[in-house]
Amino acid sequence: MSDILIRADNVSKVFHSHKEDVEAIHDFSLTVKKGEIVCIVGASGCGKSTFLNMVAGFIQPSSGRILLEGQEITKVEPRCGMIFQNYALFPWMTVIENITFGPRLKGVQKKVRHEQAKQWIKRVGLKGFDYSYPGELSGGMQQRVALTRALANEPDVLLCDEPFGALDAMTRQAMQQELLRLMYKSNQTILFITHSIDEALILSDRVVIMSARPGRVKAVFENDLPRPRKLELQLTDRYLELKRKVWSLVEEEVVSALGIRKG
Amino acid sequence: MDSKKLGLWHSAIVGSAGFIFFVGLWEVVVRLGFIDPFFLPAPSQVMERALAMTTGKDAVLLNDIRMSGTRVLTGFLLSAVVGVPLGLIMGTSRLVRAFLNPIVSIIRPLPALSWIPLSMLWLGIDEQQKYAIVFMGCFASVLVYTIDATLKVDPLLILAARNLGAKRLHTLRFIVLPGALPNILSGLKVVLAIAWTCVISAEMVGANSGLGFRIWTAKEWSDTGQVLVGMLCISLTVLVLDIIYRVIEKVLLPWKRMS
Ligand SMILES: Nc1ncnc2c1ncn2[C@@H]1O[C@H](COP(=O)(O)OP(=O)(O)O)[C@@H](O)[C@H]1O
Ligand SMILES: [Mg+2]
Repeated sequence: MSDILIRADNVSKVFHSHKEDVEAIHDFSLTVKKGEIVCIVGASGCGKSTFLNMVAGFIQPSSGRILLEGQEITKVEPRCGMIFQNYALFPWMTVIENITFGPRLKGVQKKVRHEQAKQWIKRVGLKGFDYSYPGELSGGMQQRVALTRALANEPDVLLCDEPFGALDAMTRQAMQQELLRLMYKSNQTILFITHSIDEALILSDRVVIMSARPGRVKAVFENDLPRPRKLELQLTDRYLELKRKVWSLVEEEVVSALGIRKG
Repeated sequence: MDSKKLGLWHSAIVGSAGFIFFVGLWEVVVRLGFIDPFFLPAPSQVMERALAMTTGKDAVLLNDIRMSGTRVLTGFLLSAVVGVPLGLIMGTSRLVRAFLNPIVSIIRPLPALSWIPLSMLWLGIDEQQKYAIVFMGCFASVLVYTIDATLKVDPLLILAARNLGAKRLHTLRFIVLPGALPNILSGLKVVLAIAWTCVISAEMVGANSGLGFRIWTAKEWSDTGQVLVGMLCISLTVLVLDIIYRVIEKVLLPWKRMS
């Protein structure tokens, strides 16, 4: 069939609360191809999480629809594996139990799924922590467990909602490199939300810039920075040029989201 | 770590000192004749009485503890076995909750004592009646504590589980139950204390064994020493159960054990 994995057609979402109706995103359309890493950038409160939650099937659009391989997403969709900002690890399960949770539900034999999990644990550098509880790990380690838990479930697309937002700047860069390393040549489709332009430029094949609320697509551009992308990339002219371009687009939206006027 | 250990020893020593001080004071005050032993016998006299009740030919004390303990645990466990699963279901299903809430609200405020007449009519005064009293006194509380604990489980974790492919029953078993367990266990601890009140009351009204019965008959005979022995035994049994309970908690909640 086509190589389009996710297709959002004119999606809008209105939240009804007792005080007022809030339109979080309006007439939002987007396609994500198989194997593509798409980053969505936008000011805080512009509806990024709302969109991602609709792709995961946690909430339904008020109008429009979202298709996964041509099928409308109408309920929680395990093929869209989510990584949450605050990890959402199960505190009563050890690292290995967290990672094998998805395969376990699928009926993968204990021996097999533990074997696979051990491979993952080694790859993400958590060796020796197999039987630790999440509460015993640092934030960066917890996020690596969350990442691994999602990947071990072999989702068609990995949904990331500012997954590194709660980490300090150094750990955050390390995690970006980690993700790139794990994903390099894996052909994993990723839909990644961030409010960091640097993060978007380092990770993405394509960047989608959202307008202030109600969120719409303000601009889309291909990110042709060469891979593999190491940290030094951030010092090149091409990188800075792209960053300037994105920032000029985002700035207006941030300012308008804050409700202040320029000048 | 070291300072914490020291702190523990410290409080243990100070605690023992306090205990010895008050018991000593009590002994002295009675011995010097400030208090009539008829109303409050000295600690040494209470110990004598306790010894007589555990050794001599009418050694009833251990049997009383066993009877009361069995009644408490049976009634308590019954209420937990029925109440916890039902509470989990009520906590996760709005429909079931709405359906059963009125009944629970009516049963819950009833003190265990108010069940005594009905239970005696239905079941006489044998063991089943004691279990029933404890059960009725505990059941609604178990339900309410379990429902509360269930509702406090982080909804994000439920979403995360469903995102990994969990169906309704998976979520109940792997997320809601373990997530609610810490609060359920601390709720059950309160219920265990309620269970004791139920048993002692039930034994005072209609029984021929058990600590409540022993205290009550001692009062009829003006045997203050025996009243105090009975009360002391209740305290000690509850203390022992508390320690056991803490061990069970540690075993069931290994992830809460970290510093
Ligand atoms: N469940 C909800 N009920 C009401 N309003 C909501 C809800 N979720 C999000 N919103 C509102 O929708 C807007 C977009 O939220 P969100 O998608 O979380 O933004 P972002 O992730 O881009 O920061 C915000 O104004 C937020 O207050
Ligand atoms: Mg958000």
